[in-house]
Amino acid sequence: MFNTIDNYLEALKNEMQSCDTALTQDALADAREHLFLALEDARGKDPEINEVETLQSIIAEYGTPEETASAYREIERRTTPSFKQEKKTQSLIGRVFGVYTDPRTWGSILFMFISFITGIIYFTWVITGLSLSIPLMILIFGVPFAILFLLSVQGLGLLEGRLVEALLGVRMPRRRFFTQPGLKWLDRLKALVSDRHTWLSMLYMLLQLPLGILYFTLNVTVVSVSLALIASPVIQKFTNIAVINLDNGPVFLPYWGLLLMAFGGFCLLTVGMHLARAIGWLHGRYAKWMLVNLPDESAR
Amino acid sequence: MADLSGHIKKFQKELNAGTSSLVLLSILSRSSTPMYGYQIAKLLEESGPEIPMMKQGSLYPVLRALEENNLLNSTIEPSVSGPPRRYYTITDDGRATLDEWLLIWKQTKMFVDTNLKG
Repeated sequence: MFNTIDNYLEALKNEMQSCDTALTQDALADAREHLFLALEDARGKDPEINEVETLQSIIAEYGTPEETASAYREIERRTTPSFKQEKKTQSLIGRVFGVYTDPRTWGSILFMFISFITGIIYFTWVITGLSLSIPLMILIFGVPFAILFLLSVQGLGLLEGRLVEALLGVRMPRRRFFTQPGLKWLDRLKALVSDRHTWLSMLYMLLQLPLGILYFTLNVTVVSVSLALIASPVIQKFTNIAVINLDNGPVFLPYWGLLLMAFGGFCLLTVGMHLARAIGWLHGRYAKWMLVNLPDESAR
Repeated sequence: MADLSGHIKKFQKELNAGTSSLVLLSILSRSSTPMYGYQIAKLLEESGPEIPMMKQGSLYPVLRALEENNLLNSTIEPSVSGPPRRYYTITDDGRATLDEWLLIWKQTKMFVDTNLKG
């Protein structure tokens, strides 16, 4: 039924179509590792074996794609995700202010701050790597250098995935998908270069710089403006400094005006929190689309 | 008949849900070196009964779940000829948990045996 390992992986992938792509990637990596080792083992014992028959018996012990897929689904169902999605219906007030107690909001805010730093690192890394790899290609060590660089991009992509999963609660791959074993240096480079995933990861890293700056600016602006507004009654009351200064001098607002400002600040902060959570949600999906690959999209 | 085999499969699956974690944790606690999935599968095959209790492919998600719960650690080691291998080791948490699980297992076994005898 399955003449090659790739046939089996293809069937397993089809079987897991309804599953999370990251889970599928993990399952495929496990199956590839096992089937390859089992086949190697059999070959080591008897180099003359009929490979197709041996693979059949290995698969019989490993489990059909349906069985394997259901084992992964079953475990995933029982394992608690990073953030449990709470599905309880809340009142309007609960939904508006629940954002303050939602761990996803705080995760998003933290992620937005971290993106600023990681964005700079990724951008520098990719630009340096690209501008060194390309001219070095004319030299003999250009190829291994380029391979190392492209592998590092995939590795960083995996790392970013862990960050996204921890802070944004989106399931990301826990191990990378491996390309064909036993390739020559040049073939390996070719496989990496023709892999759409490599370029998507690289694009993601480049885009992290502007996105990181945007997120950081947005966070700092919203937080500082709203906190300043909230603090305005206290400042005018205790320091006697006018919180509004126009061209023709300081304007002392009446107390209700100050309270209104504080209330405005609180509203702004709440809106900002919702915005942060929404950005986190969007970024999680975007990161998944950019960083998770399935084998038919990668050159094997 | 098809219905009967469905019942058998379902029962086996439900039993395996708990015991596979126990067995895997116990194997890794006895091993002095890190082990990879295929190695564990071979070990189970050699020691196991004629009828395999579970498909080898089902071991991997269990290992992964154990790792996610911090009972196991894993490292990826590249290999010369094939895909990299994921080596698993038991954590201190894993050992402590295993002791608890063994106790529960002994009690469960006794409870089931006693009641089956009637």
